[in-house]
Amino acid sequence: MIDTPAPNGPAIGRQFNFNTVAAVIFIVLAVVLFFIIPDQIDEPLIKIGNQNKLSPELFPRMVAAGFFLLGIWLFFKSFSVRQHNELRDLDREAITNVVVTLAIMAGYVFLMVNVGFVIGSAVMIMVMSTYFGNRNYGLGAAVSIIVPTIVFVLFTKVLVTSLPPFPLDDVLSSDSFLYGPLNYLSNHSIF
Amino acid sequence: MFESFLGGFGILFNPETVLMTFLLLAAGLFLGMFVGALPGFTTLMAMAILLPISFFLHPLLGIPFLIGVYKGGIYGGSIPAILVSMPGTGAAVATTFDGPALTKKGQARKALEVALFSSVAGDFTSDVVTIAMIGPIAAVALLMGPPELAAILFLALIVISATSSGVFVKGLLMLALGLFFGMVGQDPIGALSRFSFGMPEIESGIPLLPMLIGVFALPEIFVGIERKASQIIQSSGLKVTGERLTWPEFRGCIRTICRSTVIGTSIGVIPGVGQVVAAFMGYAAAKSASKHPERFGQGELEGVAAAESANNAVNGPTLVPLLTLGIPGDNLTVILVGAFIAHGLRPGPQLMQEQGDLVFAILLAMVFANILFIFIGYVCIPMFAKVVTIRKSLLLPLTLIFAFAGSWVFRSQPFDLAVLVFFGAFGYMAKKLHFDVTPMAMGFILGPTLEYSFGQTVILSAGNMPHYIFVERPFTAGILVLTPILTFLMWRRSVRLRRQFGTTD
Repeated sequence: MIDTPAPNGPAIGRQFNFNTVAAVIFIVLAVVLFFIIPDQIDEPLIKIGNQNKLSPELFPRMVAAGFFLLGIWLFFKSFSVRQHNELRDLDREAITNVVVTLAIMAGYVFLMVNVGFVIGSAVMIMVMSTYFGNRNYGLGAAVSIIVPTIVFVLFTKVLVTSLPPFPLDDVLSSDSFLYGPLNYLSNHSIF
Repeated sequence: MFESFLGGFGILFNPETVLMTFLLLAAGLFLGMFVGALPGFTTLMAMAILLPISFFLHPLLGIPFLIGVYKGGIYGGSIPAILVSMPGTGAAVATTFDGPALTKKGQARKALEVALFSSVAGDFTSDVVTIAMIGPIAAVALLMGPPELAAILFLALIVISATSSGVFVKGLLMLALGLFFGMVGQDPIGALSRFSFGMPEIESGIPLLPMLIGVFALPEIFVGIERKASQIIQSSGLKVTGERLTWPEFRGCIRTICRSTVIGTSIGVIPGVGQVVAAFMGYAAAKSASKHPERFGQGELEGVAAAESANNAVNGPTLVPLLTLGIPGDNLTVILVGAFIAHGLRPGPQLMQEQGDLVFAILLAMVFANILFIFIGYVCIPMFAKVVTIRKSLLLPLTLIFAFAGSWVFRSQPFDLAVLVFFGAFGYMAKKLHFDVTPMAMGFILGPTLEYSFGQTVILSAGNMPHYIFVERPFTAGILVLTPILTFLMWRRSVRLRRQFGTTD
């Protein structure tokens, strides 16, 4: 997308547009920032370099001033810039897909934290791939189980980091034949 | 610096780690080519989601791994560009001018091989040039103090905003937003808490990893799911057919490869221009220098060689401003900055002084990676050709699990997943409204260093900043005077190039 100044005359760019709105948002943000700076920055116990006007508020104030001045610049510039708001191009299918994906992400966060990474990911992959057109359920199920397990092992065993484990002790007795292998896959058995 | 260069050999070929380093380089190249070959999946996204893996490896293993993804991704984009006229990455758009025409003539194998050899030739040469350039520039950079560093960072941030895609003032606003996000947590001089809004999760700042993955990887996923098409291309059209490239044919392209490599290397050093412009410029230069320009666009091997050697020649030199001055030249090197910082290595002149051996080891790994590059590329061409057919409906959720896992592992906090989704949604909106997130990421990463250097300058000036800058620090004054001039020149150049070649990257 190349930004070109609008030609003279009653062009699209002579009206209020999304860039004008964005400019107003940035100006408002600047004003809000100026007001909250005193409350949001701790007072120093020792004022280092105070004689040189070095205050912890100096840089934030400069950034707030930047927002304000640039916001004003964009406000006036917005009338002469021809850009298309691509959010308006999104049709019903695209909006539905994005909203559904955001909902799936929210559900994924909940599942990942509560039932662990592998199970949460498996459910997410199955739901999302089915929604987006996969009808080969066998393949979907295999990918849903195998890939999260590999990722889990990669991060927890090879890279020795932590991912949410399956709450094994809450749902399975330690006598169960599944307990051993699943316990290995949980974070408790990092070697 | 020469001692550091020799020390780099010692570190790279340490018998205990050398095998692992090259294995991870190979893995990075493979993954990069894999993702690059997928239309709609960018190198940037691959680097963003694989970044967390590099965090938990030794820098000598993790950073070459990411560099492998970078190199492989830029080349991988040429495979679908040649076979089905669908560039896997923006850098491969110029390859579609001649690549598909060669495929139609039954010379797909020749086209893919010339793309591979040209990519490796461009990449290798530019890597060697990078190593040669980095020492002297770093030596000069070491003479700089806080005022000079602050002025250079200021210049770099303004130039990056000016050369980002879109309107200049929008780039500057995104930069200001990044600086604001970078201020959340603690101030870098007095370590005072600020802008945490009573949330303990951001007392130490907005987490880098979820932020980077959010703004660079999730928007690509959101764009990918706008349509439900589960499979774009049928595998029947993806046969790597025809004869192999012959030595006389390759020899005929050498002059073009050399020219494109010079173009790509020169462009790589300039922040904010990138592979796409390099590929177009390389192609245009080859066409105008050819005795048969009319053959370009009709299936000319030189056309593929010109574009591919130019775009890969950008890879190495983008590290010059990054490693010597701490300035990432584009969004791909922003990801590399994230990797360096996560390892406690802040790119800049001090890094070259304190960890010069390690930096040279990483750069040497880049050079040697080209051997693996040519081997993996050659062996795997038929396989990567089939990658295009993988179902998008399965790939997108798999990408998502890497993004979420990568965001979790850094601090193990559910809050970080919320940060990921927030920045993902923000990045998607920004993309749709023509706000480039690269200046924002740069501001976020470089903001604290800029603030620290600026604070030191204020203290050093002892209350008389104009006198201090213009009388005692003439180099700083020079940079400040040059900033508007350079910004204007680079902005004008960037706009002209984008208009000429019709690109946004």
